[in-house]
Amino acid sequence: MAPVIEVKNLWHRYPNGFQALRGINVAIDRGEFVAIVGQNGSGKTTFVKHMNSLLRATIGTVHVDGLDVSRQKVSEMARRVGYCFQNPDNQIFCETVYKEVAFGPQNLHLSQGEVDQRVEMALGAVGLLQVKENSPRELSKGQRKRLAVAAVLSMQPEILIVDEPTTGQDFRDGMEMLSLVQRLHESGHTVLIITHDMLLVARFAKRVLVLREGQIVLDGTPRNVFGQPDLLRSTFLAPPPITTLAQALPEFFEDTVLSVDEMVDRTMAVLMRSEEVSPS
Amino acid sequence: MKEIVRIDNLSFRYKGGNAAALKDINLRVLPGEFVGITGPAGAGKTTLLSCINGVIPHYYSGDLQGVVVADGLDVATSTFRQLASHVGSVFEDPDFQMVSISVEEEVAFGPENLGLPSEEIEVRIADALRKTRISDLRQRAISTLSGGQKQRVAISAVLSMRPQILLLDDPTSELDPLGTQEVIAALRDLNRKLGITTVMVSQDVEQLTQNADRILLLSEGRLILDGRPREICFQHDIMEQAGVRVPQVTQFMTLLLARLNRAPRLDTIPLTIEEAALMLRGILNDGRPI
Repeated sequence: MAPVIEVKNLWHRYPNGFQALRGINVAIDRGEFVAIVGQNGSGKTTFVKHMNSLLRATIGTVHVDGLDVSRQKVSEMARRVGYCFQNPDNQIFCETVYKEVAFGPQNLHLSQGEVDQRVEMALGAVGLLQVKENSPRELSKGQRKRLAVAAVLSMQPEILIVDEPTTGQDFRDGMEMLSLVQRLHESGHTVLIITHDMLLVARFAKRVLVLREGQIVLDGTPRNVFGQPDLLRSTFLAPPPITTLAQALPEFFEDTVLSVDEMVDRTMAVLMRSEEVSPS
Repeated sequence: MKEIVRIDNLSFRYKGGNAAALKDINLRVLPGEFVGITGPAGAGKTTLLSCINGVIPHYYSGDLQGVVVADGLDVATSTFRQLASHVGSVFEDPDFQMVSISVEEEVAFGPENLGLPSEEIEVRIADALRKTRISDLRQRAISTLSGGQKQRVAISAVLSMRPQILLLDDPTSELDPLGTQEVIAALRDLNRKLGITTVMVSQDVEQLTQNADRILLLSEGRLILDGRPREICFQHDIMEQAGVRVPQVTQFMTLLLARLNRAPRLDTIPLTIEEAALMLRGILNDGRPI
């Protein structure tokens, strides 16, 4: 099956001369859940903005759904790729929650019935149906973040990109946001998230791309990527604490551990084994 | 030792607000303490800082009860200007508080407003930049700096006022991992080496358990836990109920001991990965699970 996103030798240079991307090559299959990590300035946001033609490649090509993105209008790409900004307030501009979510579909010149149906579906998915007639200003930060997702969902894009889904939110709101993204992934969306939170990566992502100075330096499953802590640290990232704990005791834990529950199970297994070896 | 921050029976309701944002807070902070504050959104964390730096009641009005004394000044009856030389505040988003084009101007801004002689201002700029390890950035335009650099400029800009108390409202939440490390290292230095009393709000529990002397947990306007990091982690049930993430090493050791039918104790709560590794090695070398 052809990848849904195919990026070949992508370079991007901003007008001020900053070389943000330096030869990115990656193929993402339909239905993947990919986390993109790296320092600020490593090119994460620049990279994803090429998927919906918010930015154009300086060199190289990006294909989405087989289409050469550079030949498509922004409006055409918006139906295929939904991009949720890091700060929802950069995205939200309408006076009611309903209007915010209806804005995209209305621009597709759909019938009112179809627009309403899409708004209901999108607000239902993010749990904001009850506040449909409210002003976005009346919502909490967590709710505004979910509203931004709904506004993108109403375009029914196949690919969803969420920039920093949890930044600036408390733990509960962050988890709610990620559960939402997880559900959308399970319902068939291809999902890309940009994050600094390695606990989220360990728990939700199926694949991690680590960017450094505009290049992909690691590309693998979370287990694979967190299993290379030295390379990861060269990008100032660190595996989750529980992973680092297991790595501190390599004589007992050979494999990379991703969660607390897994670590408890592995520890119990080690203890059981040593009991079998030396019964008293 | 006499406290540097004293809060007696503090309650506050924002003008037009339905519920009280803070309810009957009592707190004593000792000079040189590093106090971490955590809690879910809406718990009152920022409001509490605002009552110490004087934003409440000088900029936000509402129904204020109780007394807040910061570095000897009664916050409600002192002017905001007086308070600025005693309590320095740094916020989440460094761009939000910058008023100048260059680093030097930003750090000079406060002392200039105090009308200090230029030699004194010069000494304070150099000193404040050195303390956050950004002397080399002095002539740079703020817009060209990374997030971690900007946040250290924000800290320097309040340090140039020579405050005894530094308040920080989630200062690393907008930063990447390197920026976070830089800012935390600078704050530790200021606290450990120079004895600046530090009160920091953070959503990152590990950041607090590894750096603070003491942690406050706020929930729905109330101070529900106040103790040393190990004591707070020992009460992880209360953290969880309040919607605060429990550090992974605490979660792990608690679950493991439960599986081994061992009762958790204060000294079985690890705060760092190194401590957890030491404890775990002990258990594994012991061999038998029960």
